[in-house]
Amino acid sequence: MKKFLLRTVMYVFLVLLALEVLVRVFHLYTEDPPRFIDDLGVEKRVPGHNGYAVTGNRNQNFSEFKINVSGFNSYREFTPSKSKYEIALIGDSFIEGFHQDYYNSIGKKIEQKLDSVEIYEYGYAGYDLANQMHLINAYKKEFDLIDEIIIYLNYEGDLGRGEYEPNHGRIAMLSSTVFKIRDNIKLLAYGSKIGVLEPIKKLLSRGGFENNTNISSDALNLDEQYLENFKSLGRLYGFDKCKTTILLDSRKTSKSFLEYCQENTIHYIDFAKKFENANEPVTLIYDRHWNNHGRTLIAECIADFIANRKNTAQNCNQEVPQGQTR
Amino acid sequence: MLFNSIEFLLFLPLVFALYWFVFKKKVAVQNVFLILASYLFYGWWDWRFLLLIFLSTVVDFFVGQKIYQNLGIKRKARYWLWVSMAFNIGMLGFFKYSNFFVDSFVDMFSSLGYEIQSTWTLKVILPVGISFYTFQTMSYSFDIYYKKLTPTKNFIAFTAFVSFFPQLVAGPIERASNLLSQIMDKRSFKYEQAVGGIKLILWGLFKKMVIADSLAPIVDDIFANYSTYPASVLILGVCLFSFQVYGDFSGYSDIAIGTAKLFGIELMSNFKFPNFSRNVAEYWQRWHVSLSTWFRHYLYIPMGGSRASKAKSVRNIIVIFLVSGFWHGANWTFIFWGGLHALFYIPVFLMGRNRMYAGNVVGEKSLFPTPVEILQVLLTFALVTFSRIFFRSPTLTDSFQYMNRIATDFSYEPYVHPMGYRMVDFYILLALFVIYEYLIRKDERNPFKFKSKVVRFLLYSIIVLTMLLFYDDGVNRSFIYFQF
Repeated sequence: MKKFLLRTVMYVFLVLLALEVLVRVFHLYTEDPPRFIDDLGVEKRVPGHNGYAVTGNRNQNFSEFKINVSGFNSYREFTPSKSKYEIALIGDSFIEGFHQDYYNSIGKKIEQKLDSVEIYEYGYAGYDLANQMHLINAYKKEFDLIDEIIIYLNYEGDLGRGEYEPNHGRIAMLSSTVFKIRDNIKLLAYGSKIGVLEPIKKLLSRGGFENNTNISSDALNLDEQYLENFKSLGRLYGFDKCKTTILLDSRKTSKSFLEYCQENTIHYIDFAKKFENANEPVTLIYDRHWNNHGRTLIAECIADFIANRKNTAQNCNQEVPQGQTR
Repeated sequence: MLFNSIEFLLFLPLVFALYWFVFKKKVAVQNVFLILASYLFYGWWDWRFLLLIFLSTVVDFFVGQKIYQNLGIKRKARYWLWVSMAFNIGMLGFFKYSNFFVDSFVDMFSSLGYEIQSTWTLKVILPVGISFYTFQTMSYSFDIYYKKLTPTKNFIAFTAFVSFFPQLVAGPIERASNLLSQIMDKRSFKYEQAVGGIKLILWGLFKKMVIADSLAPIVDDIFANYSTYPASVLILGVCLFSFQVYGDFSGYSDIAIGTAKLFGIELMSNFKFPNFSRNVAEYWQRWHVSLSTWFRHYLYIPMGGSRASKAKSVRNIIVIFLVSGFWHGANWTFIFWGGLHALFYIPVFLMGRNRMYAGNVVGEKSLFPTPVEILQVLLTFALVTFSRIFFRSPTLTDSFQYMNRIATDFSYEPYVHPMGYRMVDFYILLALFVIYEYLIRKDERNPFKFKSKVVRFLLYSIIVLTMLLFYDDGVNRSFIYFQF
């Protein structure tokens, strides 16, 4: 029995060791560059990290990222000036784009479509509108030099709060020993990514108390709440209607919010029709992020909008026709 | 509790440790602990199932005694055998077949122009594994009746025999002469046996988690949307189902046999590489062996088997296959499936080739099979796979429409995975799996029979890595044969 137990433990250990080597050799794990909150309370990545992000069990999506000096995944350093035409593209993981090579990002695709334009991609996984508007406000100096600001708004998930509060708890958690161990043992990082650890998590959470949230399930109340949050963020951090445009999917956005934008001449780019008419999938297999085709369509929408704006020199107070893709 | 669940991953080492460290001193203690563990394992699904299995245990234990006491009076012994049969088949009939009979009755009258409201349809849940443990307890009564077994007076041992958790819910269906005799004796730990058990568990998990579970979404998609797919995809669907059901059920059996080994008990082999069978008769000597053996011992031979005239033997074969089909499920599709196998088997039997390959495997004396053997294996696989259209389709109409589309829409179209995965990954996986199974085809109880420790270690690592590579969090992990 002793021999059996010892050998079993030894074999398990050796197999795990071999798996760790194989996972590293084939780069099956994904890398997650460290995060931090800067002096201005902006949550972002620690600059200077390069690596590869992976989705799928079998490396189905393998892409390179590069964190620039400003702490965002981009092929560009952000150096706004009055002499150039710059567009800031702000958003969550869809804009951060770890599921694409950093040199084939939405920003790069827009630049290829428009002449003499620099795109600054302020994407960060986990950003909501509060993060985004606080970012613009905190880096006011830079954003004053930037000519256009496009904010990607995922209506169902980005309007949950009306005021920004830096999430120090999350950063502390991600810097904790448990997470450091997970990130350093690549087999664990891989297992966590593909969901192998989910049954263990579920088992551990079984019997625990359900989160008792006060959010009403009534869609109408939610819409009202979202709109209130949007107004609150505008009041707190400002919303420059002349150069700020919201990128959204009208299929997932409430009618009342779109109407509010119309009435208040808040510009938005609606990519719903482009996606609806797409003749091939626009999202990845393993998650709902945009694939290369999806990103191309998004870039087309933005490029068309900017080109149109530049050509017509649109007045920021001009009425916005209802439901029109800008 | 599923073998491939996190609960079982915790349950097995705990039960193993307690069994060998705490409850090892006396056989009675070992058996009481096995019963507790087995009831916990089975009650994990639904505690109400425990009442049923306990009732079955009590009835067969006492009926077994009665049969034995009356062996001198044939009429009385037979009476008690009928009591056992009536109870077990009655229980099976109630839980598994009652709605089938009511619905078939209603359908029959509807086809004659009489509309009957199906108000008798019962809302009963099918207890997991009922088809397996009722057959096992029936074998006990049969063996006593045929004087092959002396009934035990040890109720605890008998309860452990009926509820032994590794093979409780999906077999192998053990005969009392094999399993009960081991349970009656005190088990002592044997290193080689335990190592063999771990290896079988690993191999079984691979077959279930990699082969069966990764093919399941493809098969589900093709069978659910068969009316939209051309023949090439439909043929692919049923071929993949062949591998899925094999991986699923033989994987379960391997885990069951391996787990039993960890507790010092040897179960019979249930699968002996059926995909390498050279005719349908050989296939049935290699596929679900415990059920085939059960039917041969307790139905085919008592009916006269092959010792009767050719006509009667053919009748017996038809009966066996129809009953076997019906055992699988309360649906005409299974009866048709059984009937088809009878049709495939009868010519082999009439040509006297039904025992031709017993005791040897394809490529017995060489590394590679002969061209004739390859053709035989492919033909057998094609026949068996074709029959599985009935096995997998929800209704007979679906089965016939599926076949009709294969026959009438014979066009090729590359299949696109429902989740968008690369199909080539699955083709490579299956090709490697078939090659590996061919290499180990001579010993189904030792899937890693390589002398070199390095080779074995590499194999273990590759197998675990493949499990990760094909792991899909969203797949339903239940076993196909749990529904039977």
